[in-house]
Amino acid sequence: MKYSQGSKVTGYVTILVKGTSPELFFQKCASEGITVWNVKKKSAELCVGDISLSDIKQMKKVRRRTIYKVSFTDRNGYPFLLNRFLKKRPLLLGLFISILFFLLLSNIIWEVRITGVPKDIEEKIDNQLSAYGVHPGAWLFSLDTPTEIQQKLIQDIPELLWAGVDQKGTTFYLEGVEKVIVQEADPAQPRNLVASKKGVITKIYVSKGTPMVAINDYVEPGDILVSGDLNNTTETDSEENEDEEEEVKIAPIAAEAEINANTWYEVSLTIPLAYNYEQLTGNKERKLYLKTGDFQLPIWGFGDPEYDEIHREMTENKINFLKWELPLTIVKTVLSEKEYLEEKRTKEEAIEVGIEQAVLELKQKLGPDAKILSEKVLHESVDHGKVKLNLYLSVEENIVKQEPIDQGD
Amino acid sequence: MANWQQRFRSLLIEQFSLPSDVILEMPRITIIGHIHFYIENHQGLVTYSDNELKLKINKGYVQIKGSSFVLKMMLPKEIMLEGTISEVKLLID
Repeated sequence: MKYSQGSKVTGYVTILVKGTSPELFFQKCASEGITVWNVKKKSAELCVGDISLSDIKQMKKVRRRTIYKVSFTDRNGYPFLLNRFLKKRPLLLGLFISILFFLLLSNIIWEVRITGVPKDIEEKIDNQLSAYGVHPGAWLFSLDTPTEIQQKLIQDIPELLWAGVDQKGTTFYLEGVEKVIVQEADPAQPRNLVASKKGVITKIYVSKGTPMVAINDYVEPGDILVSGDLNNTTETDSEENEDEEEEVKIAPIAAEAEINANTWYEVSLTIPLAYNYEQLTGNKERKLYLKTGDFQLPIWGFGDPEYDEIHREMTENKINFLKWELPLTIVKTVLSEKEYLEEKRTKEEAIEVGIEQAVLELKQKLGPDAKILSEKVLHESVDHGKVKLNLYLSVEENIVKQEPIDQGD
Repeated sequence: MANWQQRFRSLLIEQFSLPSDVILEMPRITIIGHIHFYIENHQGLVTYSDNELKLKINKGYVQIKGSSFVLKMMLPKEIMLEGTISEVKLLID
């Protein structure tokens, strides 16, 4: 019984044997090692039986030595089914086209869903996304990764505080959080303005409060620049109005002012005299692979270019089928030729580069309002192919820091 | 000589309780009710028809009679018969 069940997969045929005592033919087959099953005697000279597809050759050998006539009456099992199926060309073509169609449609964006933001920003995001190529009907391959889109969106739409981009199958989900422009916290909170750094005051513009310093004064961090306490004027005034003092006393206010001071920084840095860098020459070649697991099937771009040094840039895109991700990825590789360059500079050039670098770093640290007035080299020395520099930078910047007045409650 | 071998084999079966069908080259026949007939170690099919099956065995024949016989499986030394069995006869010569 087991034999006849397994043979569904491998295929079996029913043969009709004609001749005197046809059962003896099956006996011969069996003794040759051919498994025969479902043997039935139809009449004195006719007998049918099943043998597996792989045994046909051997059965024919046996037949040659006998006088029986063998004909095939039935073909069963998977191989024949497949054969019959393969013969139906239009059906096969239709199936192939439909799978291709599915594959095509599964890799197209069908919907971009934006949630969490008001209508006007939603439209803005929609336009921006369309500019990136994220719109219904676009190929999934040609898109950047969700993280990249996310970063670009936040950069390009200032109203967005955060954007979560998620791709689920053929739908792009975008969740945005709008930036709420928060009013400065409690403007009415009484406060003083103090110095955040030491420096020499160069400019004072007070809109609210009592100035406590003058131009060219030297201040240390923590010194009060502008007081929020309006009673804090000169003492002579208070002496004159001594009797009125109780009534005149005004509650402290929030001081507001812009005070620039000349501050200074000492920076030490080392600059090497010889330096390396790599540069792309502009020669590049594209390659396209179909990848499953560890196996890569090249589709486009064969052979390696004859570059000495190669910079590889790879992007992988998954292929979807309906909601499933196929274990197939399309890998795009751009091979660019690069070259390593080594250059030397003189001590003067190194110093110049060093100053530039220091100024840039300081500007980054202090923000856009700071103005660098001058830079001086305090000390320089060449040691082991490096230039050691001590720089003195003088900067004009806003040194105001808010400090609430403690009212003792 | 043959007699001596025969006796030796009987001795083996008795002393070591080995299966007699293997030692004596005799068929092992299993019958399930009246529907299945299963024989191992036969030596060839002699006649087969819808209502009769005759098989050669060591020193004789087995004859099975009944109706609507189908050979469910044929292997080199085994046969499985399905049908309505009414008679099993061992013809020893």
